Amino acid sequence: MHYRLTEPPPAAYLHQHWSKKERVPTVLLFFYIIIMEVDREEKEGFGVLVKQGAEARVFESNFVGRRSIIKERFSKKYRHPLLDSKLTLKRLNAANFLHLCSYQEARCMTKARRLGVPTPALYGVDPLLHTLTFEYVDGLSVKEILLDFGSNGVNEERLDDIATQIGNAVGKLHDGGLIHGDLTTSNMIIKRDNNRLVLIDFGLSFTSTLPEDKAVDLYVLERALLSMHSSCGNVMDKILSAYRKSSKQWSSTMNKLAQVRQRGRKRTMVG
Amino acid sequence: MKVFQVNGSTTLSLALFTDVTNSRQLLDSVQTGKLEPEVALLNASLIPDVFPILAAAHKALVSKSRESLTTRTLHSELIYNYSGSKHITESLKRCGISDDTTYVLAARFAASHDEMKDVEKLIKGKEIDLLELEGRANNAQIQKHYKITPQELAISSLADAIVCRIAARDAL
Repeated sequence: MHYRLTEPPPAAYLHQHWSKKERVPTVLLFFYIIIMEVDREEKEGFGVLVKQGAEARVFESNFVGRRSIIKERFSKKYRHPLLDSKLTLKRLNAANFLHLCSYQEARCMTKARRLGVPTPALYGVDPLLHTLTFEYVDGLSVKEILLDFGSNGVNEERLDDIATQIGNAVGKLHDGGLIHGDLTTSNMIIKRDNNRLVLIDFGLSFTSTLPEDKAVDLYVLERALLSMHSSCGNVMDKILSAYRKSSKQWSSTMNKLAQVRQRGRKRTMVG
Repeated sequence: MKVFQVNGSTTLSLALFTDVTNSRQLLDSVQTGKLEPEVALLNASLIPDVFPILAAAHKALVSKSRESLTTRTLHSELIYNYSGSKHITESLKRCGISDDTTYVLAARFAASHDEMKDVEKLIKGKEIDLLELEGRANNAQIQKHYKITPQELAISSLADAIVCRIAARDAL
């Protein structure tokens, strides 16, 4: 167990020990102090910005000695405030709505873990700042791996393994009544140390046992695979065959999926 | 005794004791608020690693900084947070010490060296290394208390499973 101290040494200490004993040139010392200032600025925020999306910012940070990811939701400034408040649910102001979103995401992630689907461990929830803190998962996204297969040739064995893991994970989620809501290849990470699949971003997920919702979940994945990774062969077939083995309710979902394929993701509201 | 940095400015000092003989007396002074220096005493058999304790401590410090502690003191908040439940009395009973507890983890925020020496004098038992937490933890009791399924343990360590429950408590 190694717990690293995050606090940099105080400047006075550095000055004493570096300048007298080790005779570090003053220029270098200044340089170090400038770096420390930058560090301090980062600490006042959440850490280093990794990604910026339409609804959230993602930072890399440190949580009591462990490498972590912080996801901060913010209200959408690009929408007109009046429209925004009308679109957000009645009775809820924007801030409340954001923290309910974070809560929902936290709930769904922990539920997925209880079902045996690997997701990053949740370290903290902050309803005031609308942030979630997760375990840092080191590895490439399935999107990066498949794109690499597309340009450098397919490693069939590895592709089979990844497709099987995806099918298993989604099957377990759906049997437990959990819909991911945004199954794309960039929301799946293959861990560098043990090649295990980890599902991320439960920001759109919800609980449902309807075959309709499960089928749409799979359909989103199918479209994503078709548009991005058609050069890898039919990955979806491999995923679905693993899904059939892991989900007990596969047959109703598959029937629904055939219907969804015909009409697209949105249900027709005619009649 | 070991000191951990919880956030930018506050530390948490931890000391682990086995064969503790005066838990009844300790519990009395905790309940009457006469424990000096104030310290959180936890039932260590529910603690497989220091990481969940640090996560609970982090959460307690955030609540403290917003003056929204659920329990009376920062140290009781640590025990309450560690339990991962919303039931305060039950949390303190299960994760705190009881009359017959012999295996105790003592935790104090921003403790000076002298204060931790006083804590060591307060607890009549043998101090052991924190690395022994994993081997001495009562895994069956932990799984029952936090409702951790075997499926979850297949993909996660026990410590991470506890941290998830500590973090997600208010969302559930």
